[in-house]
Parts: sequence; C-alpha cells; structure tokens
Amino acid sequence: MSQLSVKNLRVTFDTEAGRVEAVRGVSFDLGRERLGIVGESGSGKTMTGRAVLRLIRPPGKIEADQMMFDGVDLMKASEREMRALRGPRIAMVMQDPKYSLNPVMKVGSQLMEGLRQRDRVSKAEAHAAAIAALTAVQIRDPERVMEAYPHELSGGMGQRVMIAMMLIPNPDLLIADEPTSALDVTVQAEVLSILDNLVKTRGMGLIFISHDLRLVARFCDRVLVMYKGKVVEELAARDLMQAKHPYTQGLLNCLPRIGGDRGPLPSLDRDAAWAV
Amino acid sequence: MLIEIENLSVTFHAQGRVVRAVQDVSLSVNARESFGLVGESGSGKSTILRAICGLAPISGGSIRINGKPIATPRGKAFSRQVQMVFQDPYASLHPRHTIDRTLSEPLAIHGLPGTDQRISQALTDVGLPTAFRFRYPHQLSGGQRQRVAIARALMLEPEILLLDEPTSALDASVQAETLNLLSRLRAERGLTFLMVSHDLAVIDHMCDRVLVMQHGRAVEELTREALASAQMKTDYARALFAASADRMLQG
Repeated sequence: MSQLSVKNLRVTFDTEAGRVEAVRGVSFDLGRERLGIVGESGSGKTMTGRAVLRLIRPPGKIEADQMMFDGVDLMKASEREMRALRGPRIAMVMQDPKYSLNPVMKVGSQLMEGLRQRDRVSKAEAHAAAIAALTAVQIRDPERVMEAYPHELSGGMGQRVMIAMMLIPNPDLLIADEPTSALDVTVQAEVLSILDNLVKTRGMGLIFISHDLRLVARFCDRVLVMYKGKVVEELAARDLMQAKHPYTQGLLNCLPRIGGDRGPLPSLDRDAAWAV
Repeated sequence: MLIEIENLSVTFHAQGRVVRAVQDVSLSVNARESFGLVGESGSGKSTILRAICGLAPISGGSIRINGKPIATPRGKAFSRQVQMVFQDPYASLHPRHTIDRTLSEPLAIHGLPGTDQRISQALTDVGLPTAFRFRYPHQLSGGQRQRVAIARALMLEPEILLLDEPTSALDASVQAETLNLLSRLRAERGLTFLMVSHDLAVIDHMCDRVLVMQHGRAVEELTREALASAQMKTDYARALFAASADRMLQG
C-alpha cells in the first residue's frame, strides 16, 4: 500500500527570462520504504521534495495530476490543512544547518518551539522531549547542546540537531535533502546510521535526496535518477550496477575509488535527448 | 625535497583560550610529487596550508622551500612560486570583479606584460570559453568558478599549488571534471601539489603519498600502495579507510 502517490508532478517558474520548468512530469509511489532521488544540481530533485510539502514560493507553481498522502489530496488541501501536515506527518530535513537553524535562538528553544506552540505542552514536558530527541540522534551532551547557539556547534552536530527537530513530532514521512553533503566521511556514516535506525524502529517512510549515487544506493531500497527535471531511470538499489541509462552509469563511474587506476575519471556526457 | 616542514605548530589565542590547531607536524614533498593531507574537520589539515601561505600564526617549527626558509612576511617571490586554491569557489572569488579583473590582478601586481593574451590562454587552459572573461562570478556555475580559481592560481606560473578541498563544494560529476583538469595541468606543467581533502578516495586518486591527521597531529603517513591494500598501522587511519570504503559498492 502506498503512503504517498505522486503522478505527473510539474514545478514551473515564470520568470522575466521566460518559463523555467524545474520538475517536468515526475511520478512515483512511496510505501514505508527508503526512496532515493539522485541527480546533479539543477536536476529538480530538491524541488520535487519541496513540492510534496507545497513549500515552493511564487512565482513557482506546482501542478500534478495527483498528489495524495495517506488519503489527503495535497493539491487541494488548504494552507491550514497543509500546516497540520507539515511537521507531524511529513517532515523535511534541509541541506545546510548553517542556514536552516535560527542563528539568534538557542538550540533548546528551537527544539521546544513546535511542541510549545503547536501541541501546547508544558515547558518541562517539552524540555524532556527535546532531550530525548537529542539523545536519539546520539548527541552525548544534550543539556549543553540545548543551551548552545547554532554557531557553537560543529557541522555534524548541527545536522543532528536538525534531524532531532524533525523527529520530535514523530512524522510518518521524512524528506531528507542532502542531509550529509556538508559533513565529513566519518560523521556522514554516523548520521546515516542514525537515520537508518530511526526509519527501521519507527517505521517511517524516507525520501533521501542526494547527488552521491553510491551513497544513496547503499542506503535506500529504491532509486530515482533525475536529469533536467525528469526521471530518466528508476531501479532497485541492489540492481544499480546493472543500470541501463547512460546518465546513471555516468554518475556511478565519475567517483574516484581507493585503489582505482588513476587515469582520467569518466566525465558525464550529457545528451539533450534524455530530457525530452 | 621541494617542500620541507619540520615540527610545525600553529597556535591560536582567542579570548584567553589557547587552541593548538597543529602540533609538531613534519612532512616533505618532492618536486613534481602530489602529497595529500586527509582527516576530519578540525584536524588541522587546512591550517598547514594556511601556515605555508602566512595566513596562520606559526608558533614553532620551520617551513623550507627549495632548502631555503620562507621569508616572513611572504614576498612577491613567494607568490611566484606558491599559489593556493581555496575550498569554496562561491566565497573565494570577488563577487564584484569580473573574471578578467580577477585574473589580471596578479599580473598587474607583478608587472608582467601581455595581460590580454595571458588571460585568454589561462581560460583556454582550464577549459573555459574566452567569452567568460567579462562575466561576474554569479554568472558562472560552481564548477566553472572553481576553474576560474584554478586559472587565477596559475596566472603567475607557480611550481607549487596548495589545494584546500578543491572539489568538496562540487557535485560528484563536476568533481570528476575538476580532478581531471588538475591532473592534466600537473602533468603538462610539472606542478607539485599539496592537497587537502576529507575524502580518502579523492586523495587516493590524486596523490602519491598521504598524511592522515587527527586533532592537529600527524597520525600516519601512507604510500598509495599501502592505502590501496589497506595496510595502515593506526586504528584511526583504518577507521577513516573503513568509512570511505564503506561507500564503495562492490562491482
């Protein structure tokens, strides 16, 4: 049974320089699984994620034949209904903790804000929930982090705080937009295993957006490969090595490997015909 | 040895706190060699490059280039010999200078002739159309900006290029193009690279030898062969290798 069903999603921007089609006819179904969306910058992967939450500002326009989440028609839902969905049902982890956390608010207050405002819980309860969320993302010293401002945290800590914040309302679907791109390899592995555990133990659905195909393949069940706003290939992560589309193969082969030969890395030939 | 660093220490004093960013690190790089520094953020790897350029306070040890201790402050002769490419091409190019102005500045400072022709040549060398000369950085993509940053570093025809995470702000596919460009330029011009990255696979692809760093100290030096066959002696180097190798799919 699919939790989220998207048919023929289009995101367009009417700009002075003409119409920009960021997403052009993307369809997918998501159950309680981990779906990866991969592509280069500008391929429309982030816009697809944001469109699901209707987080696209004018002049951007979202159109779709269907966009249903758990019986709710996301295309017809009012702003009020959308607000009720964002957070408690569908949460999104943004790319960069430096820009996505409020720089002049302590981490603790930011974590508790939603609980206090939306769920009207007491200060003590909110505090306990925030500490629990920070512990869930393996922050060793949650009391100190609660009192810290975002600039006092490292990139890895900031990213974990963002994940913790999204997990407090216990959403059914988590959209993670490049959650580890700003992090070191060692920290990256940690953050991924935290996400993986949460998906397993809480039975969340996950949409994982990244430009790193190998990372996505290791982590997800299914992968959508996007190019210029279109899905060029959809495949099970374990079949990735048998990818047929030249673009997928290109993304796969362009990363250097330890112990690989040191000849020039294959670069991507982008063929305009793929985007038609 | 072209670059010799002996027991280098860098200490910052900030608001009464003492931060030892680099402690007793020694390394040496041969001419035309490519040497890598790898480690997580805060391990002091970029600070070493900055110390070479005079951008970080050296509190102990020595740096020699071609057997001679480097002058403080670094003079014009130093910039003719050593240039640096920074991590973030969005931040390292002047937003209100055209590419032409960015590239001609080093020539003007050093009083070199033939600006016009050199700039066209530099753009061609890094694979950019010469029409990009009169664009501003915001009119270029991340990969194109990093190419401009590399062209700028090469304007004075240095022997040594210090590369501080030159591809970590770029997409995987653009990273491949930029790494290929750097390898080609090194082969063509006989450059010496001292390269910093947190990605062991990138370092392995580009470098002959690697120094693994953690908390400001050198942990272990590895040759490329030892790295490929996972023959590291320290636990930290092994953990770093495992985290990187983990991402490699079999096949």
